Amino acid sequence: MDAAGHGREEDQVTRCAVTTGFFVLGRCGRAAAVSCPQCGRPVCGDHAGPNGLCPECAAAQGYGTQDPHHPSWAGGYRRHYYRHSSQAYDDTYWYSSFDQYDRGAFNPGDDYSAGGWGPDDDTGFDTGFVDS
Amino acid sequence: MRHRAAYVAFDRFPSSKGSAVHIAQMADELFTRYGGGLLGVIGGGGLPRYQREGTREIARFDAPIPNLIDRAEAFSGWVADHLRPHWDTLEICHVRDPWSALPAVADGRRHTVVYEVNGLPSIEMSHTWPWAAPSTLGKIRELERFCLERSDAVVVPSRVIGAAVRERGVPRDRIHLVPNGADVPGETERPADAPKRYVVYVGAMQPWQGLDVLMRAFARLADLTDLRLVICASVPERRAKPVRRLAERLGVAERIDWRFTLPHHEVAAWLAHAEVSVAPLTGCARNLDQGCAPLKVIESMAAGVPVVASDLPAVRELMADGEHGRLVPADRPAELARAVRILLEYPREAAAMGRRGREHIEQSLTWARSRARLAEVYRTLTRVR
Repeated sequence: MDAAGHGREEDQVTRCAVTTGFFVLGRCGRAAAVSCPQCGRPVCGDHAGPNGLCPECAAAQGYGTQDPHHPSWAGGYRRHYYRHSSQAYDDTYWYSSFDQYDRGAFNPGDDYSAGGWGPDDDTGFDTGFVDS
Repeated sequence: MRHRAAYVAFDRFPSSKGSAVHIAQMADELFTRYGGGLLGVIGGGGLPRYQREGTREIARFDAPIPNLIDRAEAFSGWVADHLRPHWDTLEICHVRDPWSALPAVADGRRHTVVYEVNGLPSIEMSHTWPWAAPSTLGKIRELERFCLERSDAVVVPSRVIGAAVRERGVPRDRIHLVPNGADVPGETERPADAPKRYVVYVGAMQPWQGLDVLMRAFARLADLTDLRLVICASVPERRAKPVRRLAERLGVAERIDWRFTLPHHEVAAWLAHAEVSVAPLTGCARNLDQGCAPLKVIESMAAGVPVVASDLPAVRELMADGEHGRLVPADRPAELARAVRILLEYPREAAAMGRRGREHIEQSLTWARSRARLAEVYRTLTRVR
């Protein structure tokens, strides 16, 4: 095969799509060995965890789902609720004292940007509290 | 994976904001000392929900909840869910705001809590959310007090913030000063699209940043036809709308070059090749009572560029008037314009100020120093327990 053909073959290698880095993020980009059984993304040998899971899915498993529409969510939530609600009701801080009037001032569009949160805004909910 | 350390912030990470640089440095120090850890932050915008880097795990909250208080409370619940698997192994939890702190200071914990106060939402939100009632801000203040009281150590980046924290009843011996820092950049290439001569502003667009003052000051420099103002905004373009409108009204819009959410290293290049860097912080409660430690001032000095900043106690902690640049009265466009003009007219003195600023950072305000002080706080806490 000529050099160009070899180049084309290299282009066809599926690359590992795992996000890497801490402050500056990038893609792993090594040749993928498996495909994550949960999300289907290609993962290289170094990033494939037990059962071939990608790091994102493996980490997510440790915390249970956060999606209330996921079937496994309700069971976990119910268990957690019964276990903790007795203590939680005693703790006024867990059940916050902010009422509707308090919350009303913090709707999008009421802030300094007057731009607000909207579906066309990919960074809509980036507001931290402080920015030095 | 079970962790001994966690760092939690109601802030997007990574991002082009100064807070992200700060989080990167502080969390890196924590995870280096504790052999990894969990970083809980805000995500969205294409960032992965979970990430693993060796012994470090990043979890990102990305529920699209429009109302800020609703979102903050949902974040608190999410943090509680994410700390729970580590409850038995966790030795230290480092937090940055009351909604991150609330689940960390819960009863029955065996870990220590370090509360890093870069700002107080009860003061700051009165500027960013003008419809918030004083009684609402009072409730937020109460929440802050509750979390501060239950934290084992409070870390502040400036003495002014330290005083504000003391006012909330935190004993002096629990407050630790860990100043912000900067890494002195090497030689940087001039940005390809940089104008020949420009003044630079780096940072966000909140009202307390004083961009209105800067616009008015720049209008007074209209006779310097070759001078341009470059604004490297750390926030998305839509947040610049009010400032852009003001610039048009003042007739300076045509002389301003906007750059949005540039990566940190590109901002360093824009700083290094500017004539002057400006930090026109206003004299408002956020800057005076709460205090701040503006990274833009420190990073400008690190880049060797003279700074013209507002003469506020928090800024005076970082730079000296006439030594590293000029300090001018806050909210006074004429004074700001005059100081910029003088520096432009005396380039040798301006360059000397830039050099001295860089030396000042090298000698006393590097991230390495800040991290060493934070490490000392962790060591002290470990000894106490």
